[in-house]
Amino acid sequence: MNKNRDESSKRAQEPGGSVASDATTVDPDDDFRLVALAQQGDLHAYDALVTRHRGRIFAMIRNMIHQEADAWDLSQEVFIKAWHALPRFEAKAKFSTWLYRIAHNTVYDWARKRKIESAGEFNDEIFERERIDSASFTTPSGGESPDATMANGELRVKIQIALGKLSAEHREVVLLKDVQGLSYKEIAEAMSSTLGTVMSRLFYARQKLQALLKDEYETR
Amino acid sequence: MNMKPDETTLALWLDDELTGAELASVEAWAATQPEQLAAREEIRHWRETVTANLAASVEPPYPDFFNNRVLQSIRERPPAASLPDKKSFSWKTWLMPAAACAGMALTFWAGMNTQAVPEYDVAGAPRAIPVDPVVYTPENGVNAEWFTSSEASATVIVLNGITAIPDTMDFSQTVYVPMDREIDSTAGGNIHQ
Repeated sequence: MNKNRDESSKRAQEPGGSVASDATTVDPDDDFRLVALAQQGDLHAYDALVTRHRGRIFAMIRNMIHQEADAWDLSQEVFIKAWHALPRFEAKAKFSTWLYRIAHNTVYDWARKRKIESAGEFNDEIFERERIDSASFTTPSGGESPDATMANGELRVKIQIALGKLSAEHREVVLLKDVQGLSYKEIAEAMSSTLGTVMSRLFYARQKLQALLKDEYETR
Repeated sequence: MNMKPDETTLALWLDDELTGAELASVEAWAATQPEQLAAREEIRHWRETVTANLAASVEPPYPDFFNNRVLQSIRERPPAASLPDKKSFSWKTWLMPAAACAGMALTFWAGMNTQAVPEYDVAGAPRAIPVDPVVYTPENGVNAEWFTSSEASATVIVLNGITAIPDTMDFSQTVYVPMDREIDSTAGGNIHQ
């Protein structure tokens, strides 16, 4: 057991080791192994878990609140909360789904505090920001021509603006389903909701997005 | 078995979440449902568009610093050992409220049994109650007497020794009335110096 633990810790510390830094390629079994080590107090294993999942959690929160600095802080808070709650994690769900649930609660707590602090003054702007800082969100992927980059950048901004016009619940369900690729069941777990509610929210959110991006659809 | 699936199954099929026999069953039904096939294509197209434009994973700025801060915070903060186990049963959960109730009852009983009953033989007359030493009067030399009448449902406090208020006193001067320019101190242009 100790040998296994040492090996996992060693792997976790390797910068270019076999433990991927992006959850798109991670094996859930690796997660469970690292979680088991972290539950015994192994900080190296937890460091590896943070590295594996920080990208998705940060992207999710940033797309929810549209503020990079706050998203950075909140993402850290998610991992700190997750560490303290780790003894209660029973591996019934994926570790990533559990993290999304903590992220969901963290973002809503943050929004609630902001609402109280501003006494509702900026209520609509906490989640429903229409002005997107295109510079920070439109990182072009490599290999695109300048024209394609510009076109994709514009579409990116339009999608973000359209998402910004949705309610927080509708936006979250779209982000979890269509961007993060979670199943309905996983979304229901992450949002502490029912399958029917998730389906209904996603249906109406997509309809609204389609209406908001009507021009984009018609030009295709 | 080309039966229409229920709403949940249909939603799962539209989002490509079905597998195996369930998928085959809905596919067979959908083969004759062009609008459902079009809806699924539209969802697939939307997903492709979104995933091409919004990254599912974005490294936070200064990722090493990000991890270090998380780990530092974990080291600094004690583990959540203070969180109570909801399932645990403790004698405190029932004994403490019971002890509090017993204490309150005992205090009430002691109060009822130790309170001195006032003895007055002038029935119906206003009773003069000696002023408690804790009642403070505004000035030295001023005495306070407290009369109460249960018949009149009235209580009168008489202060002896206070200087009479002169008839010439203008009470309006005791009230602070702000001047106009004090009310809007930000209207600098209207202030005459």
